[in-house]
Amino acid sequence: MIRLDNVTKTYGSEAPAVRDASFEIAKGEFIFMVGPSGSGKSTLLRLINRQEEPERGSVWVAGQNINEIAESKVPYLRRNLGNIFQDYKLLLNKTVSENVAFALEVIGRPKHVIAQQVPAVLDLVGLADKGDRFPHQLSGGEQQRVSIARAFVNRPLILLADEPTGNLDPATGEGIMRLLERINTTGTTVVMATHDQRIVNMMRRRVVQLDRGVIVRDQERGVYD
Amino acid sequence: MLTRISYALRETWVSFRRNITLTGAAVVTSAVSLLLVGSTFLIQRAFDNLLTRWKGDVELIVYVRSDADATQIEVIKGALESQASIIDVAKLRYLNQAESYAEAEKLFAGDPGTLRLLTPANIPSQFKVVPISQDSNLIRELGEQFRNIPGVREVAYAQDVFDVVARVSQFIRVATTVMSIVLLVVAVGLIWNTVRTAMFARRREIEVMKLVGATNWFIRIPFMLEGLLQGVIGGVLSCLGLWGLNTAWSGAVADFNDTELAALVVTDGYMRFVMVILLLIGAIAGAVGSGIAASRFLDV
Repeated sequence: MIRLDNVTKTYGSEAPAVRDASFEIAKGEFIFMVGPSGSGKSTLLRLINRQEEPERGSVWVAGQNINEIAESKVPYLRRNLGNIFQDYKLLLNKTVSENVAFALEVIGRPKHVIAQQVPAVLDLVGLADKGDRFPHQLSGGEQQRVSIARAFVNRPLILLADEPTGNLDPATGEGIMRLLERINTTGTTVVMATHDQRIVNMMRRRVVQLDRGVIVRDQERGVYD
Repeated sequence: MLTRISYALRETWVSFRRNITLTGAAVVTSAVSLLLVGSTFLIQRAFDNLLTRWKGDVELIVYVRSDADATQIEVIKGALESQASIIDVAKLRYLNQAESYAEAEKLFAGDPGTLRLLTPANIPSQFKVVPISQDSNLIRELGEQFRNIPGVREVAYAQDVFDVVARVSQFIRVATTVMSIVLLVVAVGLIWNTVRTAMFARRREIEVMKLVGATNWFIRIPFMLEGLLQGVIGGVLSCLGLWGLNTAWSGAVADFNDTELAALVVTDGYMRFVMVILLLIGAIAGAVGSGIAASRFLDV
């Protein structure tokens, strides 16, 4: 589903954020990218959804070398990728339902599809009764659920989660992890960057560890370190 | 498709209202610059009308001294009529003092000081001469001969006035064109800035749109429509202003119906043509300003 071949990425004149990284992620896998801040986890996610392009090496997603596709085709690539962030990136002037609907609206989905998909996905994330609330009326965990609903409403092949539990207390974080696990069981590949040791150790999934841009460990059913 | 269109229109409207101060500035600037463009067109047209009318009309006026007697006038008339190869004798027209005064009353209606100096008794009478010959040197030579005939006060060449008017019209044309181009550039800049500000205000939305896979055109179009709308509204306002100006002007000139000034009126047909041009320029200015902004500031 995702393959990186000898990928190197440098920002400006600094030391490479990612150096000569190679790994492959199979369809339906759940994988953690771990390492301290600045180790290159986020950069890897940004390379996979083509927010960044590598200097060397190639990134393959769903059988395509995404560094070779035309700029105009990037939006269609992104429709196969859901993104979840530590700060949720919700639109504060829209309700929960509108935030989720927005993701479908802007890729031109017809109204009746939106009317059917949005309540279904809100039900999946456990917010069926909060569609009319605004983000500021929700707890952090609920806001993250909205962001997951928005990322998943289009049924992407892959979910990219960048520190999704970073702003949440442990219990709420666990709830989010159960939700991601549930989404994973539907066949969606989940790639999650985190430095939350507890959660990695609890989940016992594949772990790729980065240290200053270099992959130092790639372990099935791994722990944080 | 319908979802996309209604989305684009809704977003355009929301953004248009949200930024009302900047939007107002952009609209007013484009309206003023377009009004100037339109005025340039109309002034030009009015001068062209005037010049065309003069070109095909009187080119030489022989003023007769107010104290000239009937015999002297007959001599001048005879001398003019004998030059049938150069002038159109059939169109030769003599205005006596009463007629000349009536004409002066109209010409100097806006200048009572000059008019006060004239009376039906001291005003020169005049022969209005329409030449057949196109050769202005020949006409000038003829005029010089008439200077020396007793009773002739002055010989005036329409060509001289024509040259002055043509020069004034040329000057006005250059000045208004330069001013309207400068203002148009300012208007494009303001539209650019308004759209850029609108995009900056909505950078979170744009970021989310890009992440969920909205195409660049889908993101751009509402902003481009916003700029286009600003340009078109500016165009409509300038059309209204120009219409008002032209109506007022035509009303003022109507008082001089049988003088040359009447030629300064611009017809409604041409007015409509200018209005269409203004709307087009407004739309293009809006599209250019917002187009540049929308393609340059999408990386937020």
